[in-house]
Amino acid sequence: MSAAPPICGVIAEFDRAEPMIGALRAARAAGWPDLDAYSPYPVPDAAKILGAHGAPVGWIAVGVGLFGAALQFGVQVWLNVFDYPLNVGGRPLFAWPLFLPSAMIVGILWGAVAALVGMLALNRLPRLHHPVFAAPGFERASQDRFFVCLFTGRPGFGPEAAAALLRDHRPLRIAEVPRA
Amino acid sequence: MSGAQGGIDTRRIADVALAPRFGRGFLAALAAAALGVLLLCYAVVVLLVVGLGVWGTNVPFVWGFDLINYVWWIGIANAASLFAAVLVIRRHGLRTAVNRFAEAAALAAVLAAALYPILHLGRPWLFWWVFPYPATYEVWPQFRSALIWDFWGIMSHVVVTSLFWYVGLIPDLATLRDRARREWQRRVYGLFALGWRGSVQHWARHQAAYRLVAALVLPLLLAAQTIVALEFAVTLVPDWHQARLPVHVVGTGIPSGLGVVLVLAVLLRATLGLERYIDDADMDLLGRLFAASALACALIYAGEIVTALLENPRTREAFLSRAFGDYAPLYWGAAVLTTLLPQLLWWRRLRHIPLVTVPLGLGAAAGVWLDRFSLVAGGLVRDHLPRIGPLYAPTAAEWILLIGTLGLFVLALLLFARFVPVISMFETRHEESEREAP
Repeated sequence: MSAAPPICGVIAEFDRAEPMIGALRAARAAGWPDLDAYSPYPVPDAAKILGAHGAPVGWIAVGVGLFGAALQFGVQVWLNVFDYPLNVGGRPLFAWPLFLPSAMIVGILWGAVAALVGMLALNRLPRLHHPVFAAPGFERASQDRFFVCLFTGRPGFGPEAAAALLRDHRPLRIAEVPRA
Repeated sequence: MSGAQGGIDTRRIADVALAPRFGRGFLAALAAAALGVLLLCYAVVVLLVVGLGVWGTNVPFVWGFDLINYVWWIGIANAASLFAAVLVIRRHGLRTAVNRFAEAAALAAVLAAALYPILHLGRPWLFWWVFPYPATYEVWPQFRSALIWDFWGIMSHVVVTSLFWYVGLIPDLATLRDRARREWQRRVYGLFALGWRGSVQHWARHQAAYRLVAALVLPLLLAAQTIVALEFAVTLVPDWHQARLPVHVVGTGIPSGLGVVLVLAVLLRATLGLERYIDDADMDLLGRLFAASALACALIYAGEIVTALLENPRTREAFLSRAFGDYAPLYWGAAVLTTLLPQLLWWRRLRHIPLVTVPLGLGAAAGVWLDRFSLVAGGLVRDHLPRIGPLYAPTAAEWILLIGTLGLFVLALLLFARFVPVISMFETRHEESEREAP
């Protein structure tokens, strides 16, 4: 293997979620600095081990949504009360309840867009290429297989240690991930 | 447990989208829908060249097919998205089977709906005047008017419905990318999958975003229909000037959307061989939901009668003329098709006969269309002033435009069924894995 191209990690393939979670837990316990797992559907337990959760997406969407709603409300007030006051049968200019519907709607629009963009940004997507795509059989991560990838490179966390750690969980196969 | 792989097999769904050929039936349907879209182009060109005079609208009937069809399409879109969003938020088992194409139906319907408000402006190419942009004359849109809210409502509706559909689609596009055998398929699906690699960390944020957008769809749906209803309610027309109108428009729209979803479910099962994923239990639940929405619709109709009788004489007279006057068949047709006939689906046996469910679903959609016609045209029969002109009747140009939007709706759904997975694959896998767990 020494003549092979430089690698950036070791990946193990499983046919079920449980051994994947087991391997993740073991790698975390061993203090592995950089690791990830790939699954064909959400596995919340695995995400918890890796310390990822959805709450930041929610906060981004709520914050941006409120900002959008406030901006829309403010723009309406400025346009219809200050910049272009139009007297319609003596009705009040600052008719705030009538500024609420579009403020709410546009706030929702901002929030929904922020949910998508925020999710992508936190996930560092779109990123069309990633080294794990080169791992053999990785196309089944989007179908029916589960993968754990231990990224190597730090001293003490080399490929041999990674392979030994992953082998304990009886994966279907262990492969090296070439550096892209 | 190692033999459990069969449980999460969703290859059948992916291969539908990747199949090189789809058969003559699909091509024939595609051709028919494309013909419809050509008719739509023709109708739009005639409208732009000749003007609004090609329509049958005239004082007092200033709104005709434009508003009838707009409200109708929006109703279908809303009910379909409402249904999909509630399933996603509640993580209901039915979501795996129907939420994806309910979202697609909503998207196709909202596209068809969004055409009408633009086309009915008279000078549609100036529709951007409703947007607050710094004009030379230094005038701004009047935000105290429901008509301006509608612009924001429709625009947000189109964008958020598309987002809801797309966010749920990203992981499934990655599956297609990975299963595709041909290079161009891999590239196209890969591009739209945004490099999704199924990291469990990404999943956690994706699920949060998906459910969040689903939750955000809900108030938007109510707002969109309510604003349309308010456009009627703020006028002085006796039959429209009622606080109950938003409830009526939102509530009666639901059987139309659920009817369309029901019909689509039957068609997808029959044509794509997806009985395993949209199983009999799903159809059963969908049928009962449809019947229940019709029951809610019946309550709204009953409420309408009671309110009309309690209201002032002008409103009562306007309602009676709508129910028993020139447009009476529309009112009663709507009442029968949207409230009475769907009740048949309370019988378990009937819920599983496509020859019963398809006509009932389409009937409910048609019934809601009659209700919109009755509301828009019939509501104006008794106004404060005596009417001198003839009654409103749609012209050929309006019918062609309606057929054209139907073509657009069908074309969008056919392309959807052809190129993307019609069933949420990752949700199906998720569901199956949960079922296997003890």
